[in-house]
Amino acid sequence: MIFDIVQRSLSSPRVLIPVEELLANSMGSRMPGVHAQALTATIARRAAASCSASALAIEDADGRSILSLDYGKCTGCGHCIETGEGAIFHAESIPCGVSRQALVLRWDVERGVELQYDESMLTAAAREIRAIVGGALNIRQVDGGSCNGCEAEIAALTNPYYDLERFGIHFVASPKHADMLLVTGPVTGNMAEAVKKTYEATPSPKLVVTVGACGCSGGIFAQSPEVAGSVDSIIPVDTYIPGCPPTPAMLLTGILQTLRQR
Amino acid sequence: MTANLIARDAEGSVQAVLRLLESGNARLVSIFADVDEDGVKRVRYLMDIKREYRVIGVPITGTLQSVTPASPAAAWYEREIHDRYGVEFDGHPDLRPLVTHPADYRFLEVQGVGVCELPVGPVHAGIIEPGHFRFSIVGDTVLHLEPRLFYTHKGTEKLFEDTSVANGAMLAESVSGDNCFSHAVAYSQSVENAFGISVPPRGRAIRMIGLELERILAHIADVGALCGDVGCVVPAAYTARIKESLLQASTRCFGTRFWRGIATPGGVRRDLSAENARAFGNAVALAAADFADMARIALDTPSVHNRFEGTGVLDCKIARDLGVVGPAARASGIRIDVRRDHPYGHYRKIAVEIPHFQPGDVLARAHQRIEETRVSASLIHDALHELAAGIVRTPVPCDSSAEGFSAVESPRGELLYWIRIRDGKIARCHIKSPSFQNWPSVPFAVHGNITADFPLINKSFNLSYSGCDR
Repeated sequence: MIFDIVQRSLSSPRVLIPVEELLANSMGSRMPGVHAQALTATIARRAAASCSASALAIEDADGRSILSLDYGKCTGCGHCIETGEGAIFHAESIPCGVSRQALVLRWDVERGVELQYDESMLTAAAREIRAIVGGALNIRQVDGGSCNGCEAEIAALTNPYYDLERFGIHFVASPKHADMLLVTGPVTGNMAEAVKKTYEATPSPKLVVTVGACGCSGGIFAQSPEVAGSVDSIIPVDTYIPGCPPTPAMLLTGILQTLRQR
Repeated sequence: MTANLIARDAEGSVQAVLRLLESGNARLVSIFADVDEDGVKRVRYLMDIKREYRVIGVPITGTLQSVTPASPAAAWYEREIHDRYGVEFDGHPDLRPLVTHPADYRFLEVQGVGVCELPVGPVHAGIIEPGHFRFSIVGDTVLHLEPRLFYTHKGTEKLFEDTSVANGAMLAESVSGDNCFSHAVAYSQSVENAFGISVPPRGRAIRMIGLELERILAHIADVGALCGDVGCVVPAAYTARIKESLLQASTRCFGTRFWRGIATPGGVRRDLSAENARAFGNAVALAAADFADMARIALDTPSVHNRFEGTGVLDCKIARDLGVVGPAARASGIRIDVRRDHPYGHYRKIAVEIPHFQPGDVLARAHQRIEETRVSASLIHDALHELAAGIVRTPVPCDSSAEGFSAVESPRGELLYWIRIRDGKIARCHIKSPSFQNWPSVPFAVHGNITADFPLINKSFNLSYSGCDR
C-alpha cells in the first residue's frame, strides 16, 4: 500500500553526496593521469602504442618529445596504465565542461613537466544564461546515437546520491523548454537531421554540452561510414565532458563548470 | 572449452532449414550473411536444435527462398541482409528497408473511419535512446504500431573487421552500454571457443558474478521505472538508490561502475581480494533484500497493480513464432534461458533456477524481473563463497585464424557473437542481439491497448535501441 511505500522510503538512509566530494572527482572513470616526473621516453612510447583509442600519442615539437593525451578520445581501457610502470595511473580528476582543446594534455617526456594549456573563457551564451537564470538550468538530453552507456550515467544524476535538482537544475521533456542541450554521440547518419532539428528548436540563448568520448570526438566509432561524426561536426558545441561513460560526478562537474558556477 | 557451444558449419540448403523449422524441434536463433575466406557469399542460419546450436551455411546463388513464412522470427534478419547485401528473399512478405532510412520510406497505412496516425520520435521526452514509433489509433486505442528503429546504427559489426582480437572486447562493450559486460563476455567466449581456450575457474566465477550483477542492475532499474511510469515515483527513486549503491560497490571493489574493461578473451583483467569479495557480497545481499521488500510493497499497491495487470499482453504463441527471448519470453510462459539450455563458463557447474510466469502482461514481466533478481543475488552469494583460488586469465594466441561463436543470457535474453578471425584480427563479427529479436513483438503487446499505456508496455520490455541497431 502507498503508506507502506512512504514509510519505508522515509526510514531509508540519507545518501546525498556533498557537492565538495563530487566536484572534480573522476573516481571510477578508469581514465589515466600522468606523473610527469616518473615519465620516461620508453614508458611514453609503450603507453602510446598500447592505446586502443588513439588517445595517447607522441608528438615532436622542435626536436623535443611530447606525450599528448586526448581525454576526448580516451575510453578508459586501461592498457596504458597496465604498461605505465606507475608513471601512468588512474586519474582522480579530469577536466570536464571545458573547451575541446582543454581536453588535450601534454607532457614534455625528457624534462618531465606538464605543459600548461590556456583555459578557455566563459562562452557568450553561458554569460547570458547565467545572467538570466543563474544556475537554475533546464536541460534537454539528446541521444545522437550513443551506446546508452552515457544515458545510464546521465539518468543516475537524478538519483538520491547526486540529486541534480538540489542545484535548481532539471531535465525537461522538450528542447523548447531548454537552456542547455546535453548531447551524446557519435551522431549517426540516421540521427544527424534530428540532432540539427532539436538544436534549432531550442530557444536562444542556449548552451550545448557534449558528453562522452563518442560525443567529443566520435570515439571508437569515428571511422565508421554509418557515423556522421562528433557532436561538434553537426551543431555548435560550448563545452565537453569526456569519459566512456563519464561518471555522474564528472557530468555534474561539467554542467556546473560550463556556467562557472563552481 | 569454457563456453557453451562449438559446432562446425554444415553446408546446407534453405530447404534443410525449412525442414528443421517445420519439424518443430528447431528454433531460429539468427541469420546473417558473410563473404567467406573462399570468396563465396553465404547466408548463415543459426539454429537451436533441442538445446544444441547449429550453423547452416547456404551459398547465395541468385535469390533465396525466405524462411519468414515458416518462422516469422526470420523477418527482420532477412530484411537486414536484403539491406546490406542486396540478397533477394523469395516469398518474404515485407522487404522494405530496415536499417537504412531512405526519404521515400512508406509506413504501413491503416485505413478506415476515424483512424489517425500519431508519429512519435526519434527524439523522446526522457533520458532514453532514439527511435520512431508510428501509431495508428482510433480514439485512444492502438490499432497498429510500426517501430522505425536503427537511428543509432553505427555499423558496429563492420567496425569489428580488422580490429585485433584483444581490442574487440572494448568495441563489444559499446554495442549496448547498459549490457556492456554481457557483450564483452559473449565476445570473449566466442574467441575462446574459436581457439579452444579454457578460462581458469576463478576467472569464470568472476565473470558470472559480473553477468548476474548486470541482470540485477537492469531488473532493479526496470521495476523502479515501471512504477515511475504509473506515477508511483517513490519506488522509482528508492530503486534508483539501490542501483547506485551497487554501482558504487563495483567502483570500490572492481574500479569500474558498469564492469567495462574487465572481460577479455582468456578471462578477466581484475582479480578480487578476499576483503573486496566480502564487501561486494554484503552490498549485493543488502541491495537484493531491500529491493525485494520495496518491490513487494509497490506491486501490492492497488494503483500500481491495477495499471500493470492485463496491460500489454504478449501472447505465448506470438512470442514463440517471433522467437522472443529473455525475461519477456519467460513472462509469457516460454521457458528458455541460455544459462540452462546452453550452459557456459561457471554455469556449467551449477543448476540455475529459471522462474517463469504465464500471463505475459506488464505485471508478469515485473514479477519476472523481481524473481530473477532474487535468483541472481543468490548465484552471486554462492559464487563468492566458493570462489576458486588461482589465476583469472589465460593467454590467447594473437596471430591465429579460426571461427567460433558463443552465447550468454544477457539481462535482455540470448546474446550471441559469431566471429571469424584471420591472423589475429577479426574478419567478420555477427551479433545476435536479444533486442533485435524482441522488438518485432512489442507492437503485438501494444495492439488494443490505449496509447497512454505505450511507455509502460515499452518499458516492461526495456529493449536496447543501440543493441538492436548496432
